[in-house]
Amino acid sequence: MSQGIDYTERIPNNVDLHEDRRLQRALESWQPKFLTWWGDMGPVHMTRDVYLRTAINVGRDGWAQFGHVALSDYRWGIFLAERGGERRIAFGEHKGEPAWQQVPGEYRSALQRLIVIQGDTEPASVEQQRNLGATAPSLYDLRNLFQVNVEEGRHLWAMVYLLHAYFGREGREEAEALLQRNSGSVDSPRILGAFNEETPDWLSFFMFTYFTDRDGKYQLGTLKESAFDPLSRTCEFMLKEESHHMFVGTAGVDRIVERTAQLMVEHETDDVSPYGAIPLRTIQKYINFHYSVSLDLFGSETSTNVANYFTAGLKGRWSEERRTDDHVLTERSVFVDAVVDGEIGRVEVPALIGLNQDLRDAYITDCQTGVNRWNRLLTEAGLPQRLMLPHVGFNRRVGAFAGVSISPTGEVLPAEDWQARRTAWLPSDVDKTFVRSLMRPVYERGKIASWLAPPRNGINGKPFDYEYVHLT
Amino acid sequence: MGNGLSRLESRFYGEPARVAALPKSRPIGGREAVESGLVTAAPDEFDWDDEVRLAVEERAALSPDALTGMEANHRFVGPETMETKIFGRLTAWQNWIFTRPNASGPEGSLLRYGTGQRAQFDRKRV
Repeated sequence: MSQGIDYTERIPNNVDLHEDRRLQRALESWQPKFLTWWGDMGPVHMTRDVYLRTAINVGRDGWAQFGHVALSDYRWGIFLAERGGERRIAFGEHKGEPAWQQVPGEYRSALQRLIVIQGDTEPASVEQQRNLGATAPSLYDLRNLFQVNVEEGRHLWAMVYLLHAYFGREGREEAEALLQRNSGSVDSPRILGAFNEETPDWLSFFMFTYFTDRDGKYQLGTLKESAFDPLSRTCEFMLKEESHHMFVGTAGVDRIVERTAQLMVEHETDDVSPYGAIPLRTIQKYINFHYSVSLDLFGSETSTNVANYFTAGLKGRWSEERRTDDHVLTERSVFVDAVVDGEIGRVEVPALIGLNQDLRDAYITDCQTGVNRWNRLLTEAGLPQRLMLPHVGFNRRVGAFAGVSISPTGEVLPAEDWQARRTAWLPSDVDKTFVRSLMRPVYERGKIASWLAPPRNGINGKPFDYEYVHLT
Repeated sequence: MGNGLSRLESRFYGEPARVAALPKSRPIGGREAVESGLVTAAPDEFDWDDEVRLAVEERAALSPDALTGMEANHRFVGPETMETKIFGRLTAWQNWIFTRPNASGPEGSLLRYGTGQRAQFDRKRV
């Protein structure tokens, strides 16, 4: 029972939690379990407090309140983007009808499944990153790690809110199960493969936030279009926070490349490892790995499930409302990647069936912008080397390219040849051990590890040498 | 029913003790109905409206012909052989359900399956 708990204070929200008995009851049972999970599976690091951004309302000033907070006292809130006027469904067979404020029975199980899959990724990444605090390259980076962690925690809350508020008893059971599965667990792993891979070092962390969180951005983007209005509004607000996670990745890789380039020029060598930095070829291997496992998250090139979701209005396309077609797609066709007679090609399929590739293509274009950015840093340093995204078929386990041995430049190879060259393309044990050897914590104010440059700007106008984290 | 079994004997086929344990002459409350396996769920007052709405809407979205077939399938219990499955159940579906417009019509579920477009059902008695 409520025992006079001040919900608005403890759980900042814009969903009228203080007068919703059903939601209160569900959260009273779930919140202590969440805190136990956070204690057991959340960040392992002794801090007194951390300079964090907390969302206390959705207004311009409220969504980003900065201050030093003890991680255990972080206030995870529940926020839906506010919208004026009546929203109408933008696509599928319900196009033009008013958006749904309740879950239609017909789509209950499909919507619940979509929310559970999205929700499962949020705590998974916290679990994957839990040991990174022990090796942070600066207090600034340590703070960013914790910011990402608490916000992934809040995104879990966002999905749990939807399950609690709209999916009845089954929703409550699914919300609990989100805390019971664990990343990498043999018995009850997380649902998606990439979320069971470990994030053992900071290079992996930056790559994860660049490539894998960016998949999250695209998935949220499709759910933001949903006819189910509470889901749409929840995802819209999550996207706002998600952009910081991708900034951490982009800027993190920027700073690594910048440091490597600087040492390459200074010492006139490709091999910067003796100077405590990460060679470009190792960075390239990490890009190859994280990009290819993230592409798998988009599923097969063709999918009737996704077609059904689109027709039903559950999940739209990226930037659905900015597109100029009929938003129904029953009469159109598209070309999707395929391997035909051992050769990489394309086949024509109904547009509805090819929606996964449509989303993946938008993602790939976005990923390329980061690579261009990193290459600009190399150009500015006067270096001829370039980083690149590997071919879309490289190292894939899902979809048309699964089981086909394709090199990063897109040649189809005999499987033995591919295996023989594997460690030239993907991080080898030697590479991983080397990267791990660089991971020594730097917790002194204003100091930074040898393998990356300091950031251009601090957080919220603070300088780099600000005390972002107070250690115990 | 035609096979001499009561509805409850069909529900608890092969478990006569569970039928015998049911109270015969008094009303049963929600919790007891769940415990004795007579209902799927008994939502409490917080959940009631939503759960009932969802359950009804979920059912109403299915093809009425398929629901008729499903109900018939559930009604007859007991030992099955490959013959009874083929000449009883499967032929029933083939003769009475798959041939109807809701399944094999141009907008029926068999032709729409796998296209990403939803089948359109005629909900009138046809």
